[in-house]
Amino acid sequence: MKTNWDVIVVGGGPAGLFAAWEIAKAGKSVLLCDRKREMGVPVRCAEACGEEDINKYLPVEERWVGAKTHSFILVLPNGKEIKLSNEKYSGFILNRDLFEYDMAAKAGELGAKIMMKANVIDLIHNDDGSAKGVKVDENGTINEYYASVVIAADGVESRIARKMGIDTTLKAKDIEPCVQVTASNVNLKENALYIYIGTNYAPGGYAWAFPKANNCANIGLGINGKYASTEKHSKEYLDEFLATYYPHVSVQKYITGGVPVSLTLKTLCKENMLIAGDAGRMVNPLNGGGICHAIDSGVLAGKAAIEACEDTLKIEKIFKKYEKEIYKTIGKRHESQYRIKNLVYQMNDEDYNNIGDEILKISEDKRSFFRIFSQVVKHKPELLIDVVKAFTGI
Amino acid sequence: MIIPLQHCDQCGTCIAVCPADALMLSEFKVIVDHEACTECGICVKMCPIAALEVKNED
Repeated sequence: MKTNWDVIVVGGGPAGLFAAWEIAKAGKSVLLCDRKREMGVPVRCAEACGEEDINKYLPVEERWVGAKTHSFILVLPNGKEIKLSNEKYSGFILNRDLFEYDMAAKAGELGAKIMMKANVIDLIHNDDGSAKGVKVDENGTINEYYASVVIAADGVESRIARKMGIDTTLKAKDIEPCVQVTASNVNLKENALYIYIGTNYAPGGYAWAFPKANNCANIGLGINGKYASTEKHSKEYLDEFLATYYPHVSVQKYITGGVPVSLTLKTLCKENMLIAGDAGRMVNPLNGGGICHAIDSGVLAGKAAIEACEDTLKIEKIFKKYEKEIYKTIGKRHESQYRIKNLVYQMNDEDYNNIGDEILKISEDKRSFFRIFSQVVKHKPELLIDVVKAFTGI
Repeated sequence: MIIPLQHCDQCGTCIAVCPADALMLSEFKVIVDHEACTECGICVKMCPIAALEVKNED
């Protein structure tokens, strides 16, 4: 097999796949290595996604769409439900396994070379410290591949960037260890996205039930890492949550995963390497959503890599431009989300219930985010500045 | 010594928090580099399904 490539992408999640797709479209040679046995499997995600997140790059295919949804229901620790519906919000539960399977095929059709069971175990460095290529374990055989640019899209583990000397280690407070079941015998009213808050169920995080298909949902939770202990892990929290809210489910899938809820990495490039998606800590730290940011950063990293291949002397400038663009579109926003998260998750169940009662006094059709947050701010005035920043994008 | 257990799901949460970069995934399991590992135990706590344990060496 060919050993020299324009670009090597490590990791075949949304970030890596969109990077490879973009690069292949431009006619550059690209190798994507993924450790897993099958593209898209296992899904480590609650799969909620906005229609525009994908539609702005390519039309959403029917088989990618689980259930469509227009509303959220927030369930308070005392069990009361707050409905927030917004006809303008058009979201769906993404069948991520099928989505990634198809995106890999699309990138492949354009000329990208995709390899599965190809575990990148190390970087190969040039004398100047830049990446010469990668060492890949393919079914027990170690092979080397070389490229002008390496894109680290290796997800929450984010080891490839570390090999380049970028510290991606997450502190306990900056990760949410999660567990999720996909289960049937669940009927979610109006296909709403259910979010459960409460320190009993999910300290420093939340539990969710998202409609996946008829009678079927992704039900899971994440706790903040600082509450994880050797006595009680996320799985015990999920057992308790299911026993309370969904005792009659029948489970078809059980998955685990870590969601980074930190600030986006400040350093997203070094020498000839770019970092995209979860590996660059681009998940929204407040709600844990990361698909859209992975896709956006994958496309941008792909474009930067193409440009760098065409003008190798300007690589530093091109990559710094990528870093700035990510900060502008993702990193900066997540700074205020991060502060909101830290304040919101300091509240206790009584705070949540009290704020909830205030919100319930507002009639359903008038429950705008602005009105809701003005109630929250009444209880926690220190949130005001960050909330304004988060919703105005300043 | 940190020991990965059979029910590990290879989700990578432990790797993300390892300050010593002593963990990596193979296709079916997480592998511990015992020389690099400082036995700080953060991976044991963070694992969503308690698939790592600390074993005392005798």
